[in-house]
Amino acid sequence: MGKRVMVAMSGGVDSSVAALLLGDAGYDVVGATMCLGVADAGDGRVRCCGPDAVEDARRVCEVLGIPHYSFDFSVHLRECVIDPFVAAYARGRTPNPCVECNRTLKFAVLLRKALAAGCEYLATGHYAAIEEERGRFFLRRALDRRKDQTYFLYGMPAASLPSVLFPLAGLGKEEVRRIAGRAKLPVAGKRESQDICFVTGKNYTDFVLERIPEGVREGPVVDTAGNIIGRHRGIIHYTVGQRSGMRISSNAPLYVVGIDAAGNRIVAGGKKDLLSRGLVAGNVNLFVEHWPDRICGKIRYRKQETPCRARREGDRLRVLFEDPQEAVTPGQSVVLYDGDTVLGGGIIEEVRYGDC
Amino acid sequence: MKPVYLDYAATTPADDEVVKAMLPFFGETFANPSSVHTPGQKARTAVEKSRSRVAALLGAAAEEIIFTSGGTESDNLALKGLAAARRDFGDHIVTSAIEHHAVLRPCETLERQGFRVTRVKVDATGMVDPGDVKKALTEKTILISIMHANNEIGTIQPIGEIGRIARERGVVFHTDAVQTFGHLPIDVDRLNIDALSASGHKFYGPKGVGFLYLRKGTRILPQMEGGEQERDRRASTHNVPGIAGLGKAVELAGERMAAEAERLAAMRDRAVERILTGIERTHLNGHPRLRLPNNVNIRFDGVEGEALLFGLDMAGIACSSGSACTSSSVDPSHVLAAIGLQRQEAHSSLRFSLGRGTADGDVDRFLDVLTVTVARLRALAAGRGARG
Repeated sequence: MGKRVMVAMSGGVDSSVAALLLGDAGYDVVGATMCLGVADAGDGRVRCCGPDAVEDARRVCEVLGIPHYSFDFSVHLRECVIDPFVAAYARGRTPNPCVECNRTLKFAVLLRKALAAGCEYLATGHYAAIEEERGRFFLRRALDRRKDQTYFLYGMPAASLPSVLFPLAGLGKEEVRRIAGRAKLPVAGKRESQDICFVTGKNYTDFVLERIPEGVREGPVVDTAGNIIGRHRGIIHYTVGQRSGMRISSNAPLYVVGIDAAGNRIVAGGKKDLLSRGLVAGNVNLFVEHWPDRICGKIRYRKQETPCRARREGDRLRVLFEDPQEAVTPGQSVVLYDGDTVLGGGIIEEVRYGDC
Repeated sequence: MKPVYLDYAATTPADDEVVKAMLPFFGETFANPSSVHTPGQKARTAVEKSRSRVAALLGAAAEEIIFTSGGTESDNLALKGLAAARRDFGDHIVTSAIEHHAVLRPCETLERQGFRVTRVKVDATGMVDPGDVKKALTEKTILISIMHANNEIGTIQPIGEIGRIARERGVVFHTDAVQTFGHLPIDVDRLNIDALSASGHKFYGPKGVGFLYLRKGTRILPQMEGGEQERDRRASTHNVPGIAGLGKAVELAGERMAAEAERLAAMRDRAVERILTGIERTHLNGHPRLRLPNNVNIRFDGVEGEALLFGLDMAGIACSSGSACTSSSVDPSHVLAAIGLQRQEAHSSLRFSLGRGTADGDVDRFLDVLTVTVARLRALAAGRGARG
């Protein structure tokens, strides 16, 4: 038997193929599913998040002939991901819970469980690469640029890199589906999940509202000069850059350009008001100490990275883009790249409209 | 290396002789025991032979045995069937906080139907105080249901005293004996038991078959309606192979029970002693003496039970934790909560249950692996970094 590896299996096609490939490569593979135990909206009773997901993962493991375990992550999820997610919305931010889950659950708690049980590695079905050069480990972008998920992974503890495998690093989604189909994995045709896994059967605003009903009050919409121009339904309904939901007549289209949680105000403006060059990020995680003067930064998963400079200041990161960026959003992450190598990143705390 | 199975409380393997006893009834003697023809009569003979054996081991009469699909059905039939049959006399049921869910869930259903249920507490060892049962009784009490021994922590309940109280007050007494029947001697008359649930697969019989002992003259409303099997108390064509296997398992249990209980208890005590003295910050859950001969339930402070369960399995040791995520419940065990454990402590507890296949060497190997695994988990928890 080869080295033992635990594969985090969501029941989806990517992690299933990851497990398959590792088995083919001679590893001693063990499947594991994180049970998220999200309380059901109906009766509030705690159930495993997506029992279907656990069942799917179990079925795949049966086909692959490997053991499968499910771990209770309900408390971790609530404390490390859901509570901060809800709190962020209350503060007028647009959080990205996948970043937090990878940082604090998957590549921390689950990895510890894997190592504790005598596994050498933890593997996942992420599209990303970890490469070793002269004894140092680097997180790099996946070959398939369109699927690259390093944006969600920059928070991985640096110490975890030597213990993590990404078997899909060099594969495209189509290839992964083909492999799953050829191996007759029961999840080969499964739809891609696009939503936040713990927000089941409703949209995120309902989810947040259920948890902080008192935190959502109507309030004024102001223009960039501070003049009241309308009313909003509660700040959690808005995100920077959003155009809809502002029932205000105006000659030019109006966008949310800022959310002032303390004043319970939404700031609206034109498209040009969304532009900014600088930002300050917290919750910083860096894989390297030094980087070139000119690197690239990415401020949303679906956006291209663009040239910038970045400077570390204590536990903060200051980033200045060469060209103004549209809708830099507090709560989202900024991730820094040098070519394909992920340097690190942080959570956007402040947007700087002038030079920073 | 051969895996070590230490989860006999969850289920036991069917004995080779049990399997052999079942085989004729899949083919050769396949007929329906309710049929009047000769092949049917042959099947019926087998069913009745098993019934007599079960009754004999309990000191009961054959007609007091109702075959069911297992422990859960027996508990459901007892709780719902006895409560419904006695509704005219009262609406109050007394049970304990540490019963199996096969008793607790029916109790909740009965509450929704207007019955009142008192769940007596247990002490830190998981013991019900018969005095509490007595105090809970009212004019309206129609049923007492207290388990013989707890499936998680192994504590054996004073059912003799509880039976005496029930008899004095004229209240029907049911006991869930799923963990004890076939392992410990039970005399239903001496213990004043009116109804008793048991399951075949817990004592080397087949899965999918069990029985409810019901004292003669005790009325019950069937929960499974249809044909007139089991004297109109449980409809459904008899599971003849299962019942034949159950009969054989009962026969074997009768022969082996005393010696096996002694052997397991010695092994249990050795394991507990070595864990408590050899591994720091460990505690025994349940009663130190009055416990199932095969039950070891340990709390490992600073260790996640789930991680330990997984680590042990990776090393070839199969055991059980109080909370199983796969059962779609991530709440800590109600039993461990009832004996006063905090959520964290409950999640640090594991159950090891020994059985017929457990040899001294297995216990040694288990203890070695356990010691190493606990140490590794604690070192990691102490935060030596991801690489440990």
